[in-house]
Amino acid sequence: METFLQVVANGLMLGGLFAIISIGLTLIFGIIKVVNFAHGEFLMAGMFLTYLITTKLGLHPYASVVVVAPALFVLGALTQRLLIQPLLSARDDHVQIFATVGLSTAMINLALLLYGADIANTPTSGLRTPVDIGPVRVLEGQIYIFLCAALLVVGLELFLHRTQTGRAIRAVAQNRAAAQLMGINANWIYVLSFGIGAACVGLASSLIAPLYPTSSTIGTYFVLTAFVVVVLGGLGSIPGAFVGAMLIGLIDALAGFYIGSDLREAVVFGVFLIILILRPSGLFGTRVKLSHIS
Amino acid sequence: MPVTFSPTLPAIRRLTPAAMGLVALLAGLFITPVLIGDEFVYHVFITICLFAGLSTAWNIVGGYAGQLSLGHAIFYGIGGYAGVILMNMGISPWFGMFVGAAIAAVVAIVISYPCFRLHGPFFALATIAFLEVFRVLALHFRDLTGGAMGMMIQLKLGWEWMVFRERLPALIIAFGMMLVCLIVAQVIRSHRLGFYLVATRERESAARAAGVQTVKVRLTAVAVSAALAAMLGTFHAMYLTFIEPAAMFSLPFSIQIAMFALIGGIGTVYGPLLGAVLLVPLTEFARGMLGAEALGLHGFVYGVVLVMAVLFFPNGLMGALQRFPAPKASQDPKVVQAAPVAAAPRAAERPPIGQEVMRVENLQKHFGGLHVTNDVSFSLREGEILGLIGPNGAGKTTVFNMISGFLQADSGSVSVLDREGRFQAPTSPSDFAALGVGRTFQIVQPFAAMTVEENIMVGAFYRHHDVHDAREAARETAHRMGLGPWLDAEARGLTIGGLKRLEVARVMAMEPRILLLDEVMAGINQTDVRRAIDLMLSIRDTGVSIIAIEHVMQAVMSLSDRVIVLNSGEIIAEGKPQDVVRDPHVIEAYLGKDFVHAQH
Repeated sequence: METFLQVVANGLMLGGLFAIISIGLTLIFGIIKVVNFAHGEFLMAGMFLTYLITTKLGLHPYASVVVVAPALFVLGALTQRLLIQPLLSARDDHVQIFATVGLSTAMINLALLLYGADIANTPTSGLRTPVDIGPVRVLEGQIYIFLCAALLVVGLELFLHRTQTGRAIRAVAQNRAAAQLMGINANWIYVLSFGIGAACVGLASSLIAPLYPTSSTIGTYFVLTAFVVVVLGGLGSIPGAFVGAMLIGLIDALAGFYIGSDLREAVVFGVFLIILILRPSGLFGTRVKLSHIS
Repeated sequence: MPVTFSPTLPAIRRLTPAAMGLVALLAGLFITPVLIGDEFVYHVFITICLFAGLSTAWNIVGGYAGQLSLGHAIFYGIGGYAGVILMNMGISPWFGMFVGAAIAAVVAIVISYPCFRLHGPFFALATIAFLEVFRVLALHFRDLTGGAMGMMIQLKLGWEWMVFRERLPALIIAFGMMLVCLIVAQVIRSHRLGFYLVATRERESAARAAGVQTVKVRLTAVAVSAALAAMLGTFHAMYLTFIEPAAMFSLPFSIQIAMFALIGGIGTVYGPLLGAVLLVPLTEFARGMLGAEALGLHGFVYGVVLVMAVLFFPNGLMGALQRFPAPKASQDPKVVQAAPVAAAPRAAERPPIGQEVMRVENLQKHFGGLHVTNDVSFSLREGEILGLIGPNGAGKTTVFNMISGFLQADSGSVSVLDREGRFQAPTSPSDFAALGVGRTFQIVQPFAAMTVEENIMVGAFYRHHDVHDAREAARETAHRMGLGPWLDAEARGLTIGGLKRLEVARVMAMEPRILLLDEVMAGINQTDVRRAIDLMLSIRDTGVSIIAIEHVMQAVMSLSDRVIVLNSGEIIAEGKPQDVVRDPHVIEAYLGKDFVHAQH
């Protein structure tokens, strides 16, 4: 029983990690309707930045977020403005897919060029200290990630529903043309949304860097799971992504323990394929119009 | 191979510059390394042939069918593993290659079938997920695959084992396999399957209405593509002599395959070849010259080139030249019509209205709480024009969707007379098409990237399996519809009147016995309306039965033998056009109670 509880706790902590990575992805998809295949590389860039700031300036990894999040915001905004916006009117989907796939390939290999294949370990700053909560034991840093993910969900929901900018974003997401007729600058909203989505990844990377080693391929490792989470939670739904992340975290942890650690990825992707094929709108996704289903 | 080439031999005498360029390119690919004789140059050219072949195979699915697979390494990997495992059991890779191809084709069909509901990025994501699953499974089943340690082939040299010390034989095999891929791609593109694939990619519903079994053609494409990729995988495994899951089931490798096609020209026959020829040397030389120092350099270049390509040449290099090479069409001198001809002169005497050909009984349909079709029954006779009118939202198009198989009724039945004189109850669009029911769409659905001729050919293929016959039939239909001058124009460039005529032409090329026309006259000018009326009469005189949804009353009055008025999903009047328009219920439905009261 204790083991089971520990596995569940691990699953929830893993869920928190997946959630904080996936929130930005689902936000960008929900509004711009573009699947950002370079999302994982944004995370990788943020983690390298955190590593540099922490090691060169001797700051606490969490303190680096004041630089990393704005930097990622700029990266995201530029991506939208320079890469996605010219392609929004493209007739075929493949153009947008290849654009972000190309960006991802370029970023992975740029990191390889700059840092080589070595692993960069961000100082843990005590965040790997185990904490006992009742019968289970988790890392301090994992708790912060979980809490930040939950706060980010609440914060973004409040922003999208309670502020004028947030309403404008939702309006553009639902019907771009109609929103423009209401005087909303849709292109600007897209740039802003992509920036916010990327900034969320910036926050995530500062939180994750002390716990996971940074390498050029770390993004690929995480982003595939993030896609699973986003599809499971309903594309574009932020609370859905949180719940989806918890589910995938639990499945991952339970499958890893009870089926075999080398097969847990197969189980996670198996679940993903089943959801994608049977319920492409996700378990909780009713909000987003399913323009991808003809 | 010689068999495939022989029919085109007479054409060689009048080779186009493009064809000469292709021959020169292919010859160069083979001769250059032989002349230079350098090991490394051989390696580069073998790699070019390998990627050109893989990318060409990918293009059958990713380009023609528009299903953007980022998991093609699955098939390549299956081929590689099948070859190595069988070789280590003492079976020649020449045989193992076909085993791998067969397994890959089956796997491709099994994993693609459920994924066809997904479009664009979601299909791509699903293929990535499948790739990950295969990689993890290959790592897990160590007994079969050697797990993360990988597998060496037993070093048995010679043609029999596809393993050589010298490079030339490997080049010969790689080059030959690339040629096979190119020939398969060319044959598919220039035959019915290719037209069907592109049509399905452009407009799935219109393709189904044209009698295309969209799932079947896509599965065929996927199976062929996977089999070719697997055969190249077997060869490459023999060439590398060592395989491991991380290399065989690799996402970056899959992306590369797709990337060459994109840069060369996605959906074109020779684009992938061009992409591989231009990009592979770049990266192989970078790797060879700079070695480990430039770790990641070639990938970075690939990524940047890819981004630049989508931004500035979204149709690739070939696309910039010509989108769909249709060699036969460009060679034959075209009979260009100076002015659009109207319909063929009508027969003096119209044939009498015959027996019932379609029976619609008690159709019911709900959309949620909305009762869109309430107990609709009618029948259609041979050679008759039945007008279907009613205010907006009356449920006319829903009825059409149910009598062409696009929508299933909640209850009630639709039966169509087959050629043997028995009534059948078709259910799917292809069943309806097989019984001779053709339809147009209210919102025109052209295959935008195809020419007018190719659009009509998709319909003509229903009767003519041969490309030449279909092309002839399409041209004849086009001239009859007044589309002659635009045969080579891309459909996306037509005006709305032209697109409406194209809709009708595509259906007419199927030679239907029952024609369902959904507002073909809406939004076109007066001249075109007159011409369309003549056209419909001439179609009717050939014995075709027509049901026409129409708002243009001039057309309804002069065409229809009988009119059915639909309002709120119910038939409120039926009869001769002159009688129906005087029916108070009809006037009320269109103009409201007040108007009826005001008249009295």
